Amino acid sequence: MDMTLDFSILGRFVDAFALGLWTTIKLTLLCIVLGTTLGFVVGLLRSGTNTVIRAVLGFYVELFRGTPVLIQLFWIFFCLPLILGVELSNFVSATIALTLYMGAITSETFRASLRSVGREQLDACVALGLPRRAQVMNVIMPQAVLRAAPTLLSNAISLFKESALVSAVGMADLMFIGQNISNNTARPVEVLTAVAAIYFVIAFPLTRVVTLLEQKLLRKFSA
Amino acid sequence: MTSSANGSALIEIKDLHKGYGPNIQVLKGLNIEMMPGDRVVVIGPSGGGKSTLLRVVMGLEQIQGGEVRFGGKPYIRADGRKTIIDNDVRKQIGMVFQHYTLFPHLSIMENLILAPRKVHGESRASARERGAKILERFGLGNKADAYPSQLSGGQKQRVAIARALMLDPKLMLFDEVTSALDPELVAEVEQVILNLAGQGMPMMMVTHDMWFAKNVASRVIFCASGVVVEDGPPEQVLGNPREERTREFINRVFHIRA
Ligand SMILES: Nc1ncnc2c1ncn2[C@@H]1O[C@H](COP(=O)(O)OP(=O)(O)O)[C@@H](O)[C@H]1O
Ligand SMILES: [Mg+2]
Repeated sequence: MDMTLDFSILGRFVDAFALGLWTTIKLTLLCIVLGTTLGFVVGLLRSGTNTVIRAVLGFYVELFRGTPVLIQLFWIFFCLPLILGVELSNFVSATIALTLYMGAITSETFRASLRSVGREQLDACVALGLPRRAQVMNVIMPQAVLRAAPTLLSNAISLFKESALVSAVGMADLMFIGQNISNNTARPVEVLTAVAAIYFVIAFPLTRVVTLLEQKLLRKFSA
Repeated sequence: MTSSANGSALIEIKDLHKGYGPNIQVLKGLNIEMMPGDRVVVIGPSGGGKSTLLRVVMGLEQIQGGEVRFGGKPYIRADGRKTIIDNDVRKQIGMVFQHYTLFPHLSIMENLILAPRKVHGESRASARERGAKILERFGLGNKADAYPSQLSGGQKQRVAIARALMLDPKLMLFDEVTSALDPELVAEVEQVILNLAGQGMPMMMVTHDMWFAKNVASRVIFCASGVVVEDGPPEQVLGNPREERTREFINRVFHIRA
């Protein structure tokens, strides 16, 4: 077995990697936006008073938190079209799956941050005579969103990494392209290392941002 | 002492019953009548319901029995299992709490003008102008754009008082507003309250500071076990209590600083 490494072979595939990365980023950003919006609404409704809505949404959240993302992806890719009787492209099914997953995860983030805005803040609102709408829009919401920000960013980074799973349903993302090149060149060490490095170079600085954000917010809310 | 209800009282609390859940009875038939010029200091053992009393008067709590009247009109009353609170009356009362309750995501000026804008529909410009004046008066003129986390505890409590005053309250409630402060910051907050008292602001407050109580109070009420045990001028209740329980409490809690 020839174990001499030759990273220069990667040079030939720069365009392919770029294309794969672009697909990964497009898919991830789309699912972050859609999923976080979904999570916000679900988090709010689960903090509300309607017990039927809370039960249904609770079931949804626990289902997606309690099953592997790969199964969710496969189920939506293979089973949903059979049930609905429509064809779903792998991009659409990947988007649906990752959005539902992201929605479930972020709804918990929002719910926790809503709870973390203390009773004292509400007392102050009432003592100031603030109308319900202003209590929610000017006091509770902004604080909940600020407090949620670091965790939401963590959720987004996780999604970016989990998105590699869509290669399993044949979507030509960074992982999929990497696997193909690795197979075709028989150079798994160089190619898969490069793919890992690309994920890392993007995710790592963001995790640092999360830490900084957490410290900043901690100072702000230590009031 | 005060004559019986004749409509001139600012606050009348009649037979107030308040508990938390079926097993915790805190206020058990409490009666207080407060005149417009009164500055009432409530003292009593910890856990005796002083905060609960102020929170009820602020309209923050459900009650199980009795009523509170404000300026001769109904304000809060128990109606079966519900508590009916007149919101228009509540808006005339301001409260500052023991723990800090400034809005941490808003600057000091934004903290001050939020309620005037949302409650009274005051314009931003007009509210800012009044806010700047109050901050100046409280020695916080350079803090308008700071955030609560950048302030000392004493500054935060002064801002909290300023925020309440922005709504021109007819009654101020202070619940141990200095007990979370470092000792050297207590005086600056107490001075602000004393100034307000000097301007004739009616107030009801809880404090454990004997010196402060003596200086600010026109009346002291000793509350224990959910009822008023003694109610009279500060010289009496703090200096020469008539009730044995009051005497015991004053000796135990206040003798060091008295
Ligand atoms: N939100 C609450 N839920 C349950 N019990 C409470 C609550 N708030 C206060 N209590 C209880 O009510 C009693 C009176 O409390 P409080 O009014 O804070 O007394 P004080 O201010 O005189 O120390 C205490 O026994 C306290 O534990
Ligand atoms: Mg208390």
